[in-house]
Amino acid sequence: MTEISLQLLGFIAATVLVVVGIAGMLFLDNLIKKLIAFTLLSDGVNLALVSLGYVQGGIVPILEPGASIPEFPNNAALIFGPGIVLTNIVIGVSTTAILAALIVALYKRYGSLKASKVLKGERE
Amino acid sequence: MSEPVTNLWSVPLLVMIPIFTAIIVNFLYNRTRAIRFISIGAALAVFAIAVVSPYGLHWFAGHPAVNADGTYTFTASIFSWKLSLEYYYGPLQQILIALMSLLLLFVVVIATKSLSKNYGPYIAIVFLTYVSAAAILMANDFYNLWIAVELGSLLVAGLVASSGTSYAQKAALKYTFFSALAGSGLAISLGLILGITGYVNITDAITFLMTNDLGGMYAVLYVAFAFLALAWIYAGGLIPVHPLKSDVYRSAFPHATVLLQTQSKLMLVAIGIVLLRMFGPLPFAREVMLSISVLTMIIGIVMALIQTDFRWILAYIIVSHSGLVTVGLSLGTYQGVVGGLFQAVNDIVYMSILLLCCEMLLYFGKGTSIKFNGGIAKKSPWLAAFVILGAFAASGIPPFNGFQSELIIIQAALAEGLPEVAAVVLMVSISTFIALFRAIYSIFLKPGDPSPAGQPEAKGFTMPPTVFLFLSVLLAISFVLGVYPQLALGFLTESALKVVFVPWVP
Repeated sequence: MTEISLQLLGFIAATVLVVVGIAGMLFLDNLIKKLIAFTLLSDGVNLALVSLGYVQGGIVPILEPGASIPEFPNNAALIFGPGIVLTNIVIGVSTTAILAALIVALYKRYGSLKASKVLKGERE
Repeated sequence: MSEPVTNLWSVPLLVMIPIFTAIIVNFLYNRTRAIRFISIGAALAVFAIAVVSPYGLHWFAGHPAVNADGTYTFTASIFSWKLSLEYYYGPLQQILIALMSLLLLFVVVIATKSLSKNYGPYIAIVFLTYVSAAAILMANDFYNLWIAVELGSLLVAGLVASSGTSYAQKAALKYTFFSALAGSGLAISLGLILGITGYVNITDAITFLMTNDLGGMYAVLYVAFAFLALAWIYAGGLIPVHPLKSDVYRSAFPHATVLLQTQSKLMLVAIGIVLLRMFGPLPFAREVMLSISVLTMIIGIVMALIQTDFRWILAYIIVSHSGLVTVGLSLGTYQGVVGGLFQAVNDIVYMSILLLCCEMLLYFGKGTSIKFNGGIAKKSPWLAAFVILGAFAASGIPPFNGFQSELIIIQAALAEGLPEVAAVVLMVSISTFIALFRAIYSIFLKPGDPSPAGQPEAKGFTMPPTVFLFLSVLLAISFVLGVYPQLALGFLTESALKVVFVPWVP
């Protein structure tokens, strides 16, 4: 029961992070706060993917010497979740870097971090 | 369906050569001649590989279970699990990647001539954009698909921001923020599909879905469909993302937009095919895709009609015609899928002609507004001829290629009992003609304003010979595909057959 709740807790925490992240990206006016909201969203997705691979009473998915081979596939946690998370962390860092660079460039041009001012529609 | 087991070395080269080229030219930074030499050589190399490479698979990890005769078998009942991260290179991939390689060559030549500084990193981004599109088209696993979409979206931002204007930086920022949403959605979709099926390989996942009763898990499958469809909408600039995508098309240099719109079309095709193969049988899935496509066509062309700048008009026509591609795919029939794929090929060709003409207009120095231009046909008749013929192709006027694919899509819509969709396609075709020729008349055909007193009259404009050659090649392709559509259809029919009738085969 406790272990089931652990996975459920993971999904609930991930959902909260994703919802807060999306809400922040959509409704906050400060570009840096939007950027932080994006990192929350990314963390929420990572947590969801890790929780997905959880196996109740499972073992680390590394076949060690002496381990029972018939039991391994039944008990090992899903390996792809953490694998995807590693990639998603790299992607998240790259996206954050590009967003930060663009925000700095626009701040130098407009002297403001307010999305309502900086991203105001204009046609050159 | 049995295929010999081969692990083709030529397939990953289509990705590896551009990646290494990007790394090298990035470090060369401003060494003009070296960058030009290496980048043109690399573009020629990937074009040659795309043309001569045999069809088959490249496995990065895992492999199919091999039969006694050294082949592996695809059947729905006795299938071979592939368990692999893999690229598949078939006729569809060949024609689209070869076409994109040709455009990469054109873009590299123009960029290395037109830019004066910092073009090492810029050319690197151009090559990586090519990589993202080629990778997504060949990927037969969700992992590579996801990476390619994420990589592609970051590169779009880089390519747009490279033009250096504040408007471009804003467009890049908005697009990247949305890419964060769509990319996260795609990761969740990948996780859900992995959770339901246990397989990251698309073929394996489809086979699992076809041979197992999901019971109460169908709701989760719909959520996965929704997130993957979000990535499709985002990558292709369909509604409601069309304002972001049109901003991107308009803000980049026109030669970069050639590559951007090609990347978008390839992503639309690649993700669209995965959606069809995996979720096509689900109730309402194709209807949702079709609705999005039709609305994109309508909104895109209406927006194009009210623009007063040639770049904006082209940006919205690209968006509208993306809907034309996806309408064909969304119909889900053999004829519809062939029409959608053929439209993607044609769209890439004729929009490239128009965008390169737009680039020439910028060289001309009078901007692209239809309010402050005129008389350019007199000063540059060849440019006027190219833009008019390109507009004919985009409007679906025979004997150019746009006519053939739009005809197939209209016939497919009528055959499916959807005359209203056929009518919308026809309306888009006519409206494209009106939007383009309104601009062409104002910029090229209308007599120009006299020069202000005291200033000399602008001299005639000579088009660079390389651009003249590129436009001639693209126009020739447009004409040949318009007269002999079977030349392209031969590459597309096999993929369409697989998508519709044997979706578990890549």
